[in-house]
Amino acid sequence: MARTLLTHGAEAMIGTEVSYTSPEPLGRALIRYFAMAVGDLNPVYLDETAARRAGFDDVIAPPTLVCETNQFAGVRPWDESGYIGHVWDLGLEGCRLIRGENRYRFEQPVHPTDVVTATWKLAELTEKTSGSGLAMLVVRSVCTYTNQNGSLLATNEDVVIHVEISA
Amino acid sequence: MSRADAPPPLERTLEAVDLVAYAGATWDWHRMHYDVTFGKERELPAPVVDGQMFGALIAAQVMGWAPPGSFLTELELRYTSMVFAGDTIRVDANIIGQDGSDVELAHEVVVGDRSVATGRTRVVLPPRST
Repeated sequence: MARTLLTHGAEAMIGTEVSYTSPEPLGRALIRYFAMAVGDLNPVYLDETAARRAGFDDVIAPPTLVCETNQFAGVRPWDESGYIGHVWDLGLEGCRLIRGENRYRFEQPVHPTDVVTATWKLAELTEKTSGSGLAMLVVRSVCTYTNQNGSLLATNEDVVIHVEISA
Repeated sequence: MSRADAPPPLERTLEAVDLVAYAGATWDWHRMHYDVTFGKERELPAPVVDGQMFGALIAAQVMGWAPPGSFLTELELRYTSMVFAGDTIRVDANIIGQDGSDVELAHEVVVGDRSVATGRTRVVLPPRST
């Protein structure tokens, strides 16, 4: 029989919100690094002249960069996984993580001067059992990204699945 | 723009170095993306590609195809299978709708004949490009 991953403590966290504000503007270097890592050398990310010619005020960030909230490094101390970004503390030991869905909405171009605040809300927890009988907890969160002027940049509906590791 | 004008497939072999570069660029230092021993302890055969990288590649596919000045407004992704270091992915795209300058596309990410993610995007083209 699969173990229960949806504890009362986890359930009580539904609706919780937490915000992280980057300590500095996004910056051209991060935009260039991300573009190179993806192999997406679109000039609007790298060349201010090309970006202006395309109608933007400056170079812009590749769309999904703003939704990679790990740019707020140091949210918490390193744990054994090495991860330092946002997580909900749902007490899920002995599980591995699988990404389920992302639904991004991009409201406006993101520029190097934007100082991003990410606000996460724990929207839903759903317990399921895998085809092989393993316990799973589906975690649905919604994150909004705003800049230093309070202007909405993007939203991200994020679904991850915690699956117990078989004995 | 007609449905025959869909973006060409985007193919990429994601080696360990690609996973490390993406992990660094996103400040995601989770060991599952590079630490073979950590992965094996969790029943993973090799470092795992960050699923959000597929989103970045789909965005690259759309923004590389759309005229300069286009703006991606929506990107949805559903992940169906894990992808590991060394796998070659291909992103296929089709135009599924257009309303003036607003174009909607469907995407599928495959490894060989295995579908690993499906997606949908919406992009707004600049004036005078439609």
